[in-house]
Amino acid sequence: MKGVLLSGGTGSRLRPITHTGPKQLVPVANKPVLEYAIEDLKEAGVTEIGVILGHKGREEIQELLGDGSKYGVDITYIVQGNPLGLAHAAGCARDFVGDDDFVMYLGDNILKQGIAELVESFRRDDYGAGIALQEVNTPEQFGIADVDDDGTVTQLIEKPDEPPTNLALIGIYVFSNEVFDVIERLEPSWRGELEITDAIQTLLEDGHAIDSHVVQGWWKDTGKPEDILEANRLVLEDDHLERNGHVAADATVDGRVDLHETATIEDGAVVRGPVSIAANTVIEAGTYVGPYTSIGPDSTLEGVHIENSVVIGESTIQTSGKIVDSLLGRGASIGRADDELPEGRRLVVGENSQLKL
Amino acid sequence: MRIITHTCVQCGTVVSANELESNRVMKCPGLDCDNVLRFADLPSEERQFFLEHVEQYEL
Repeated sequence: MKGVLLSGGTGSRLRPITHTGPKQLVPVANKPVLEYAIEDLKEAGVTEIGVILGHKGREEIQELLGDGSKYGVDITYIVQGNPLGLAHAAGCARDFVGDDDFVMYLGDNILKQGIAELVESFRRDDYGAGIALQEVNTPEQFGIADVDDDGTVTQLIEKPDEPPTNLALIGIYVFSNEVFDVIERLEPSWRGELEITDAIQTLLEDGHAIDSHVVQGWWKDTGKPEDILEANRLVLEDDHLERNGHVAADATVDGRVDLHETATIEDGAVVRGPVSIAANTVIEAGTYVGPYTSIGPDSTLEGVHIENSVVIGESTIQTSGKIVDSLLGRGASIGRADDELPEGRRLVVGENSQLKL
Repeated sequence: MRIITHTCVQCGTVVSANELESNRVMKCPGLDCDNVLRFADLPSEERQFFLEHVEQYEL
């Protein structure tokens, strides 16, 4: 079985962070979202992975993943170009997949449980496809699957007014090779895209059995800033965190803290986990780093109180202010305005930024 | 919808026909690959099909 990892898209809901890079490389607990997908695929025994690239971030994604050897996988890059839909992305991978089955994984998704059970369930019988589902509270806002007692899908409905179940499709699928012939027969939808739900529906209508697997743990689509913060919280809550860096004698560190071996918590700083602090970052005196915060590499924090936030990295934060529920892009610099006149905040804010002052 | 792709013989990167057609001549998008890819590298039947249905491959 092969893997097809989707890494295109514009990341418009994550601007301005995505003005300078692809959304799949935004870090959650100091690890790019895309790496969680690679790890899930490998854990499920899928080591030949085609990474679909769109227009944005081709070089950055290739620089991060390389040939896949550092993850123990073999990566082939597939350039989709125009975002013509998930089924088009899958179709671009036809030569790469060859005669195999494949897992299709949306690269901005992250889930607790991994995909091994979904893949195993698909392998148990002669299915045309397998879909990952999760119970949701607002099924009318999702693509919904109706399933029988065995978990075999009986129908798919897009955003139904009267949903037969609360089982929503999430961004992970397993396909038999038959899907490629189905994709050839599809026509673009009203929005000009080849829809993956149309491909699954056609497989169903052609008489193929469609397996389903209900994901029990959490799942996040990290498309928006609040989703990144939520995913960061969930991963920090669950991850094994190692305190390898230097903690000064008069620093206060409570709870689980992932501290890179080159990171430092200085005297007079307070860190309360779960927290992740990356390489070459210094937490200086008078700083408080509170729960569910990830501080990226090569950063310096002095005097700030920060919690439930993600600092992507290469940042300097020297303020006595409090920062909560925030996502700070790479290279962000926050200084003090306490002694400056006229009194007030001084901002250089990128396009599409969101601030609450 | 027929999806046409081309594989770089030097690095194995797969490139969709819409990407090739929009550039006509392009450096292979594979990192550190210096191969040059051309829409004309596609078989003539695939080129003809793509051009006859080009509206399908546009946003």
